[in-house]
Amino acid sequence: MADEEPVDQKKYLEDGCKPKCVKQLRSYEACVKRIQGDESGHKHCTGQYFDYWSCVDKCVSSFICLEPQFG
Amino acid sequence: MRTVALLGAGISGFLGFATIASADESEHGLEAPNYPWPHSGILSSYDHASIRRGHQVYQQVCASCHSMSLISFRDLVGVAYTEEETKTMAAEIEVVDGPNDEGEMFTRPGKLSDRFPQPYANEAAARFANGGAYPPDLSLITKARHNGQNYVFALLTGYHDPPAGVTIREGLHYNPYFPGGAIAMPKMLIDGALEYEDGTPATEAQMGKDVVTFLSWAAEPEMEERKLMGFKWIFLLSLALLQAAYYRRLRWSVLKSRRLVLDVVN
Repeated sequence: MADEEPVDQKKYLEDGCKPKCVKQLRSYEACVKRIQGDESGHKHCTGQYFDYWSCVDKCVSSFICLEPQFG
Repeated sequence: MRTVALLGAGISGFLGFATIASADESEHGLEAPNYPWPHSGILSSYDHASIRRGHQVYQQVCASCHSMSLISFRDLVGVAYTEEETKTMAAEIEVVDGPNDEGEMFTRPGKLSDRFPQPYANEAAARFANGGAYPPDLSLITKARHNGQNYVFALLTGYHDPPAGVTIREGLHYNPYFPGGAIAMPKMLIDGALEYEDGTPATEAQMGKDVVTFLSWAAEPEMEERKLMGFKWIFLLSLALLQAAYYRRLRWSVLKSRRLVLDVVN
């Protein structure tokens, strides 16, 4: 194959969308810091994690192009 | 003294729940976003090249664990492959048939009329081979899951590291879209996992899009005809509605324009 390694389109869009979701990312990181050293095993950051990925997903879906590409 | 006792009772009651598993956002899974599928429009058809590629993905990546027992090879003819191509594809598998004249079962190469081959003999065998988890049949999966097409695409391309504080046991994998978060299937779509026949670069997102288009077709092969029929009949019935409304008002106009006179009787 003459082309260089094709980049995964979704991953590329996700990286591009990360700056749009900084608020949720900071919130998640703050949670991670908060639960550090937790011994009970009941604390987790699923809520903030979901908020972050929901934001990234929304951004990606607005850019992703599923139409057939010609050429 | 009594408040201390009450407080103590309250705290111990609360701590009694500390070991019970609690439900949280992961119970229903992260909601899949709405992707702009090319076949979503009111008069949009499937991308048949995508169905063909998606069948390739299914055959090479998914068919080792997931059955599609409601689809036959003949269903592919005219949709994704020509008749000759499909016959060749079917002939590559061995099918048990019989009994013959001697009463014995025999194996023969596949025909167009055969269903897609099953990876396991039955559900128990499938569970045994997959650590107790049953890889569901995919014939209707996009209709069998809420927001099926978007859900399947998000699931296949959405394997991420778990959030802090969440541990998944050995044998399961984290996927935020899966209800509960712990799915038995590992990430199957890896960049370059297969080489498409038509030369399209096989990235994870491309394979995900193609396989979901294939699965959408498998669940709703009638979609294109249905949309054409729907458009035609909704248009015709709208005309009929206008005609019926006019005719009703025409006939009722006699009653609606009458005058009633109240007179005094002397």
